[in-house]
Amino acid sequence: MNDFDLVRKNLFRRKLRASLMIVSILIAFMIFGVLAGFYRAFTAGEDAAAADRMITVNKINFTQPMPIAYFNRVKAVEGVRQVTFANWFGGYYQDPKNFIMALAIEPNTYFDVYRSEIDVPPEQLQAFIRDRGSAVVGETLAQKWGWKIGDRIPLNSNIFSQKSGGHTWDLTIAGIAKGKAQHVDTNFLLFQYPYFDETRSFGKDTIGWMILQTTSPENNDRVAKAIDAMFANSTAETSTDTEKAFGKAFAAQFGNIALIVLLVVGAAFVTILMIVGNTMALSIRERTREIGVLKTLGFSGARILTMVLGESVLLALLGGIPGLAIAALIAMALRNSLANVVPGFAVSPTIALQGLALMIALGLITGIIPALNAMRLKIATALGRG
Amino acid sequence: MRSLWLQVAAVTAINLKSIAQRRWLSLSTVVAIALVVIVLLAFLAMANGFQRTIAGSGADDIAIVLRAGSQAEINSTVSRDQVRLIEDGPGIARGSDGKPLISPELYLVVDGIKRTTKTKANLPLRGIGEQGSELRKDVRITAGRMFNRGSNEVVVGKALLREFEGLDLGSTVSFGATRWTVVGVFEAGGSVFESEIWADLNVVQSLFNRNNIVQTVRARLTGPAALNELKSYSDNDPRLKLDVKSEASYFAEQASQTSDLIQKLGWPLAIAMALGAVAGALNTMYSSVAARATEIATLRAIGFGGFPAFVGTLAESLLLAVIGGLLGAAATYLIFDGVTASTLGGNFTQVVFDFKLSPWLIAEGVMLALIVGLIGGLFPALRAARLPIVEGLYAN
Repeated sequence: MNDFDLVRKNLFRRKLRASLMIVSILIAFMIFGVLAGFYRAFTAGEDAAAADRMITVNKINFTQPMPIAYFNRVKAVEGVRQVTFANWFGGYYQDPKNFIMALAIEPNTYFDVYRSEIDVPPEQLQAFIRDRGSAVVGETLAQKWGWKIGDRIPLNSNIFSQKSGGHTWDLTIAGIAKGKAQHVDTNFLLFQYPYFDETRSFGKDTIGWMILQTTSPENNDRVAKAIDAMFANSTAETSTDTEKAFGKAFAAQFGNIALIVLLVVGAAFVTILMIVGNTMALSIRERTREIGVLKTLGFSGARILTMVLGESVLLALLGGIPGLAIAALIAMALRNSLANVVPGFAVSPTIALQGLALMIALGLITGIIPALNAMRLKIATALGRG
Repeated sequence: MRSLWLQVAAVTAINLKSIAQRRWLSLSTVVAIALVVIVLLAFLAMANGFQRTIAGSGADDIAIVLRAGSQAEINSTVSRDQVRLIEDGPGIARGSDGKPLISPELYLVVDGIKRTTKTKANLPLRGIGEQGSELRKDVRITAGRMFNRGSNEVVVGKALLREFEGLDLGSTVSFGATRWTVVGVFEAGGSVFESEIWADLNVVQSLFNRNNIVQTVRARLTGPAALNELKSYSDNDPRLKLDVKSEASYFAEQASQTSDLIQKLGWPLAIAMALGAVAGALNTMYSSVAARATEIATLRAIGFGGFPAFVGTLAESLLLAVIGGLLGAAATYLIFDGVTASTLGGNFTQVVFDFKLSPWLIAEGVMLALIVGLIGGLFPALRAARLPIVEGLYAN
């Protein structure tokens, strides 16, 4: 029988007590996994932001339009490698409840600016550019409605109306876009701005925002200043910022998600810490006599310390690993239904590693006091007690 | 029968008095339950505060007219001609001068800077018609004055002022190339309007290039029943075909989505945490029974029944739960009640609201605590009742 066997046997001496502790640890790590996954998905935009990409919006607010003439002027700014633009459409399919992230985009440049994230086969992209009334849909969205290339779909807008009075634009699907990395959300529909602009009843010749790529991230500041200075004192002043800063400010608008996550995970952990810590102390106290015997047999204080700590760490791992696994299953189950709110909801390898580190920390913190007590225990006291 | 209850009382008293001997274990259960209640109540208070702010904003006798299918003000467009047709519509109250009490409004999103995070956030700038402030209940200028018509002046809602910087009375703000002066601060009975900036409709229209367009029309009805008249009037005129809703039902729709989401997040979290706390409570109570094994057996040996032992243990668990529940509710009240927060509302702009606990929410929190106590005490109590006397006497 080696030390590990002893640790294991000690832990499961009282099966019910051990199982209860494992259950509470399991729940704590399940909460951790789900919330961390939620948080990561929520801030994915930030991580996905390319360092050399910037966003130019109307200075009043990003929902205010700016003249399409800005596009060509920005293109000419030194340090700008590529520019494209998009306009929010407020799209839905058949019923307003079926919200679709639909954008009217500049067809020739949009996919170039996003080439590190979105992949559209070249022949499909060509077909899209050729046909004014066509659209590229993301893989997730296409799967959701069972759309295939060549399908004609009616896209509604809750903002815009057509000159003819309707609110429906008919589009032919020319391409299906795939995400190039796991965090890329492909729940979108992109269609041609020229078609949108000539059919809509108001707001003609204005665009929502421009996305530009600088020749190098070092130029970002200079480029931003040059663009904003160019339109200063005009009717539509601009504000240019890195994609990352823009995404961060936008996510912050939903309220302080990070704080809530921290609060709940913190509360769950303190709860578990107390329960497990107390129970560990109790079970070590019950074993005072045995520890005395072990010491008499020649077990060193350090070895006993390691054994007790080993027991609490083992307990934390036994509860924590399945807890994280359940969190991963929950994330998988909710992934599709939450795709609109938090795309890419998953327990990532990073979260799993963080969880593992937390488990070891939990084990060490809950075990340390009983372990120190056990180590310091004098043989005479131990055998004399109980 | 009476002796049974005397036994129950005696054993319960012994149990409760002996809690002190197991204070650390008992304390951990109390704190665990308190934390569960805090998390639940914090979420519920957030949902409740949001709901109250938005749902409290609408009146039954105010109609709001939007473009069909637009769902929110921000997506709506109503033309000048349609505004004229609505003015002549049935069911609309008229002022002493005979003019209809309506307010065409333009709702725009502008940037503000949040005080706490210094990040940009979407604020609503509302251009209101002449009757705009009279069409909302309890609107009161608390500092400064109302804006003058035709000027670049704005008044700012009290809640907005609290959360966002640069909008203090007398300061100048620029939205685009235009500079505006803040000339007043208003209250609106704690409603969502307190999260808005108001200016004159005509000025907003011309400075934002929306000359012939408004987004919504608000109208005072002659009574809540007049809503249907106005509705059928709009449905039957092909030039209108607009959505006519009472302001109350419009805001109720807006509020339900977000507060549902908060509650849907809060309850599963609280239940998952409660399961963890049940495990803790079970541990505490089993240990409590084990620690008192000799005591219980002795009582049984001198003639006490199993039932008093059962009740005594359960009572101990429930007491710990109630203390935990109340402690959690008190802590939530102290930490969260009245805390101001803001989030994106249905109109894509910030809604400022306060966390608000209510007696009913506190009752829900304590109820959850009691359930934890009940489950956590039940099985150990059964064990206490069934403990074989002889084994118990030799437990130590």
